[in-house]
Order: sequence, then C-alpha cells, then structure tokens
Amino acid sequence: MSRIWDNYQTDVSYDELMFSSFQPRQGSHSLCQYLNALTRESIEKRKIAAELAILEMGISFTVYSDEGNIDRAWPFDIIPRIIEADEWRFIEKGLKQRLRALNCFLNDVYDKQEFIKEGLIPSEIINSSKNFRHQCVGMKPRHNVWANICGSDLVRDKDGTMYVLEDNLRVPSGVSYMLENRVITKRVFPELLENIDILPIDDYPAQLYEMLCSIAPVQVSSPQIVVLTPGIYNSAYFEHAFLAQQMGARLVEGSDLVVEEDECVYMRTIEGLTKVDVIYRRIDDEFLDPEVFRKDSILGVPGLMRAWRAGNVALANAPGAGVADDKVVYAYVPEMIRFYLNEEALLPNVPTYLCAEPEQLHYVMQHLDELVVKPANESGGYGMLIGPQATSKQLAAFREVMKKNPRNYIAQPTLSISTSPTLCNDKVEPRHVDLRPFILQGEDIFVTAGGLTRVAMKKGSLVVNSSQGGGSKDTWIINVEKR
Amino acid sequence: MLSRSAERIYWLARYLERTENSARLISVYMNLLLDLPKGVEMGWPQLIRINGCEALFYEHYKAASERNVAKFLLVDNDNPISLYSSLSFARENMRTTRELLPDEAWEQVNEMYLFAKNNLDTVTNRRGRVLFLNEIMEGCQRFTGLLSGYMSHNHPYRFIRLGRNIERADMSSRILELATLLLSESRSHEMRQYESILWMNILQTLNALLMYRQHVGSRVKGDDVLNYLLRDTALPRAIGCCIHEIDDAIRLLPNHDALPEKLAELDKYVQSIDTQKTTQYQLRSILDDLQSRLADLHNDISENWFLSQEQSQFQAMES
Repeated sequence: MSRIWDNYQTDVSYDELMFSSFQPRQGSHSLCQYLNALTRESIEKRKIAAELAILEMGISFTVYSDEGNIDRAWPFDIIPRIIEADEWRFIEKGLKQRLRALNCFLNDVYDKQEFIKEGLIPSEIINSSKNFRHQCVGMKPRHNVWANICGSDLVRDKDGTMYVLEDNLRVPSGVSYMLENRVITKRVFPELLENIDILPIDDYPAQLYEMLCSIAPVQVSSPQIVVLTPGIYNSAYFEHAFLAQQMGARLVEGSDLVVEEDECVYMRTIEGLTKVDVIYRRIDDEFLDPEVFRKDSILGVPGLMRAWRAGNVALANAPGAGVADDKVVYAYVPEMIRFYLNEEALLPNVPTYLCAEPEQLHYVMQHLDELVVKPANESGGYGMLIGPQATSKQLAAFREVMKKNPRNYIAQPTLSISTSPTLCNDKVEPRHVDLRPFILQGEDIFVTAGGLTRVAMKKGSLVVNSSQGGGSKDTWIINVEKR
Repeated sequence: MLSRSAERIYWLARYLERTENSARLISVYMNLLLDLPKGVEMGWPQLIRINGCEALFYEHYKAASERNVAKFLLVDNDNPISLYSSLSFARENMRTTRELLPDEAWEQVNEMYLFAKNNLDTVTNRRGRVLFLNEIMEGCQRFTGLLSGYMSHNHPYRFIRLGRNIERADMSSRILELATLLLSESRSHEMRQYESILWMNILQTLNALLMYRQHVGSRVKGDDVLNYLLRDTALPRAIGCCIHEIDDAIRLLPNHDALPEKLAELDKYVQSIDTQKTTQYQLRSILDDLQSRLADLHNDISENWFLSQEQSQFQAMES
C-alpha cells in the first residue's frame, strides 16, 4: 500500500521534523510514526474533516478583492510543526528580553531620549519614522510599558539558528488562529494528542485579560475592558470578535464610544453611558482619534487621546509604540538590549543593511540580486523585493525607488528558511515556515507556548502571509523524554 | 450591553424567525395545493401576492409557475425577502455579535447557511424542496433550543425574544391575511366546500393544529381558528401570546420608559377583536392595523435602546 509519506525529500533547508529524508528529529518520532501508519485515504479523510470544521466554526479571514471583500476559510495544514520544550524555553527567554528592551526604548524615546543622546541611534531615524507620534511625548503608560502585545516573527536558517525577523508592536494579529488551529487538531487527531506531552496554549485569553487588567488606571478596582475594532470589514474582524468573546469583554466600534466633558471614555449601552477603563485597540494609530490624527477617520473616537493623556483610560498598545517596529529601528534592538538591560541578545537579528547609510546602500545596490529588500513600515509582506527571484527589470525598478527614499528601506541576506512537511495535493512535501509567538507585557510578562506557524503553500515560495495565499499549522511545544 | 449589539441581536432574531416562517408558509402551501382538487382558483401566484412582492417578481420572471415562485421565494439573491436572503442577513448579524452568544449557536446558524448555500438548486423540484424546507425548519428550532439551553436569560437573550416575537406576530398576522384573501366573497362554490381544509392548513403553518384540537375542539371552523390564533395567550405563534412574550422581555430591560403601557394598550386591542361579528373586509383592515401597530412598536424599541442613525455606521438591513 502506498503511503502519502513515502517519498518525502527534505531539501537544502533545515527541516523542522526530519534530520534527513527518513530520520525524524528527537521530538518528532511519535508524530512521524503515527503519520507513517496512515493510508492515503485516512489522511485525506482527516484533511476533509479539518476543512469542514473550519467552515462550520466560521474560522475565516477577510481579503479584499475586486469583487469587494470576502470571507475566506482559514487555510490550515493538518501536519503539525514541532519544537522541543528545551529549545522553546530558551526562545521564550530571548523573546521576553527583547520585548523588555523594546519597551525601555519606547519609554526613553518619548521621554529623555538617552539612547539617542548616547549616540547609539541617529536622531534622524526617530524623527523621520512614520510611526513616531510627537503627541505621545511625555506620556507615562502604566509599568512603563507601551507595547503590551507583541507578535515577533521568527525564522530558522539552514544551520538551525532561530532569527528574529521582525517585531510587530502595533496591532499584531494571528493569535486567534493559533488557538483555533489547536482546536481543529484536537478534532482531527484526538488519538495522537493523547500520547504526546504538548504544552497547552489555551490560557492565552486569560493571560491577555490579566494583562489588560494590570494596565487599568490605578484608581479602578474592577476595570471595564473593551476590544476596539474598525468593524466587520477589517481583515482581522474574526480575531477581534474571537478575543472579545474569549475574554468576556465587549467588542466595540468607534461609534459605540464617546468621550465626555470629564475626559473619560464611555460606551453607549442599553442602560445609557457606561465608563470604559481599558481599550485593547485593534485600530491603527492614525485612525484612533480624528481630533489628533487623521481628521477624516470615522473609525476612531474623537477625544480618545485626551482621555488617554489624562490617564482616564488605558490603551493597549499605546499609541506611538509602532516607532519600535520600524524595520530600521529593528536593526538597533541588540544594542538596546545591551544599553537598557546590560545583557547580550539571546536571539539574533537577521543581519540588516540600512539603506540610509551610504556605504551600506552601496553594498545593497551591488548585491541586490542576493538580498531581500523591505520597506520600513509596511506589513503583510507588501512592497518587498526578493532579489534572487526578481527579474532584472524589477531589480532596476527597485534601485530607483531605493535611491529616492533610502531611509525607507532595509536589506537582508536571503535566508534559507526552514521547512516543515506539508500536505500538498496527494503528497507530503517540504514547505517553508515561519513562527509568530505572542508576548504580553503589563505588570508581568508572558509568552505563548509556541505561536502561529505560517507556511508558504507554494513550492519554493517564502511568502507565508495568508493574504497572499499562505497557510498555517498547529505548533507543538513538546516535552521529550530523554532516553 | 452595547446599543449596537442589542440592535444586531434583535435583527438576528427577526431574520431567523422570518427564515423559519418562510419555510413554514411554503411548505404548508404546497400541502394545501396537494389537498385541493385541481381546478380551484388557488395557485402559486397567490403566494407572491401574499408576500406583497408582485412587482419585484415580475421584474425577474415571466410566469408565476411553481418552479419560479419557489425559486424566487426561497433562494433568490435578488429578492431581499427570500428565505436565503433572510438567512444570510441573520448570519451576518450573528457574525458581528458572536461575543454575546454561545459558540454552538453560531455554528448552528453557520451550518444552516452553508447547507442552504450548497443546496440552492434543489428547491426547484418538490422532493428536494421538502427536504430543504425541513432542514431549515429543524435548524431554526435547534438554534432556539440551543439558546434556551445554553444561554443566560440576560439582556441579549431578551433582545432575541423581542425580535423573535415581533417578527412572529407580524408573520402570523400575514398568514391570517392569507386566509381572508382566500375567503374573498367572490370565491367559487367549489372553493367554499374546501374551507375546512384551508383552515386546517393555516393551523398547520403555525404548528397549531393539535393545540387547537385540545383547546378549542376538534371541529375546525373559521371563526374559532381566527379567534384562537389572534387571542390565545398560551400558543407560541398566536398573536396574543407573542404580545405577552414581548411584554415580559420589555419589563426586564432597563429604560423601558412608556413601553409597558403601550403594550397593555396593544394587548387590549387584540383581545377586543371579535371575529364573530367581523366581515372579511373588516378583518383585513384589522390585520393591517395590527401590522402597523407592530411597526410602531418596533420604532419605539429602536428609539429606546438602539443607536440613532447618525451614531450608527451600520444600518440594519431592513427589507
């Protein structure tokens, strides 16, 4: 009988599950053995079961297309990705260290700017950052934390090293899909999960709730918490609703909130106006408050920034936190860790060339066909150039763009990102993956056990964003019994 | 509870009730046609007339054949009161209030929507249509059951009761209107012979035949049926009962203002209808009046608890 797994060929990259084509890594033995025993038919059945569960549970994301926006079923691959708990504990430490340093930096940027004064980062970088908000200068969020929710993207290179690719400190999304992926895996492989010691992840909503409570204005004992969404047409609306539901918080839109003369935020309820203490906002800075940012925005709440500055409401993440996920600022994170924490970074950055630096720009121009170039402030994989896959015409066009606005670009060597076995048509094939763990910082600091593994479904592709056809996998952090 | 959520959840309940009632009406109408001998002046065009959508129908179809009418009333996207449209609106309102409702209830509505979407083609033949309608009616009942078993009887639940019962009262009055239409003075002698079949089918549309027999008697007589369906306070689909349900829910909601008094007035009005003395023409105007009073009630509810138009970017998709 032919097995779906028979001809699995790992390529030149590091494979998350296998040492070589037929050698599972230490933590992956049970999974590989189990999958090996399944026939094509039973794998196919499980795949269909997963797809049906996703449809029925309504796990979707919204994509914009020519025909307006549509809900797409969440793309999911049933074969999980495994990380051993020992390694994970180290990564977890590194992520906490990183977010602490980033928050120290944010606090400093909007206050004394010692990091700049010490000459550790050119002041122009901060001043020209699209996400630096002068309106936030002098603010002191509770616990000195600006970025309360961080989604960092990790990738593994061919030698096995985990690199931080970027930090998302504005409104990172994906955590609901991480949780739902596990729910689906439990439905699809109930017998498998019984025998493997996987760290649970379902405490995230409780941790998020705790964190949000911890940043409420000091005088409030049992805070009223809301999730602020741009509305049903936003691509992450599913997640906003999911998190509100899981926390038992209200899901509000801008029009539900109002700032009264006492500079407090209220929501319009059937009982009248009810005070709001903590807002987990999923609206970008620019749209938060038309009094301060974009005047034409109807998504936000007029006066919200006044209420925040007066200390009457907490905003997570704090406005202005995005200055630290500028991809140019990213290059300075190891230095931040040294400066603020007096430690060495546990997780390395991907080597990064700053196009704003003439010498580095020169190098980038010369080696463009080996590099990945990214705009400093885009997300979702938009506006990137992948050198080795680009045509000479594309390369030339990008050279022009970069010359015009070098501050806006960074370049990185193309890593050979690790792969994970993925069900493709009727075969299991290696596909590139990344990982987005979520880190929460309020009074305490917390990291999810694993994160959202995204997978590039096209052969050889490095693009994992779901808006661009990427998929996802359940991620298992497992305790391995040492033999 | 947010005013916006209250509004969406209220509409969710209305649209689901409408979905269920559309299924009931068509299913019973099919049975009625099967019961009546060929040649009586009832047919599919009447169903379009009852729903008050003749103009829209003839924009899209030439003839009111069984196939066309079933398609138009059940699965047509262009028809905002088709069963599929109602179900889609219900799902959309639910998708945007998921944080207030049990997961199972969302999955139930979503599954029903997916079922309808995948089986749109089956309604053109009778066999397929029967299966389709049964699945929808059962699905709506499962939803109601899930909520009553899983959901706190809190404010959101009260708005569901409000929406459901306003829609239900309105639909029951429209179904009674159907009876008056069919009983027009000009009806043929032959048609008069089959009156009790007609009334039995009306009772069945509202799942009330058994209850009618238990409470009124086994003889199915027009006046008694009307009386029962208008004024009974224990039968879930009787208008009197819907009004009591609405009244219950309203009293438990904050800021109900003058609504309980208005409800008392409405109740008095319904209870004073004397079907023995009304002509068919009078009855029609009574039912029209009742419908406009229910519309007023909706406006009062909306004014009391929902966001005003300028506060709300989302306008409930009202047909």
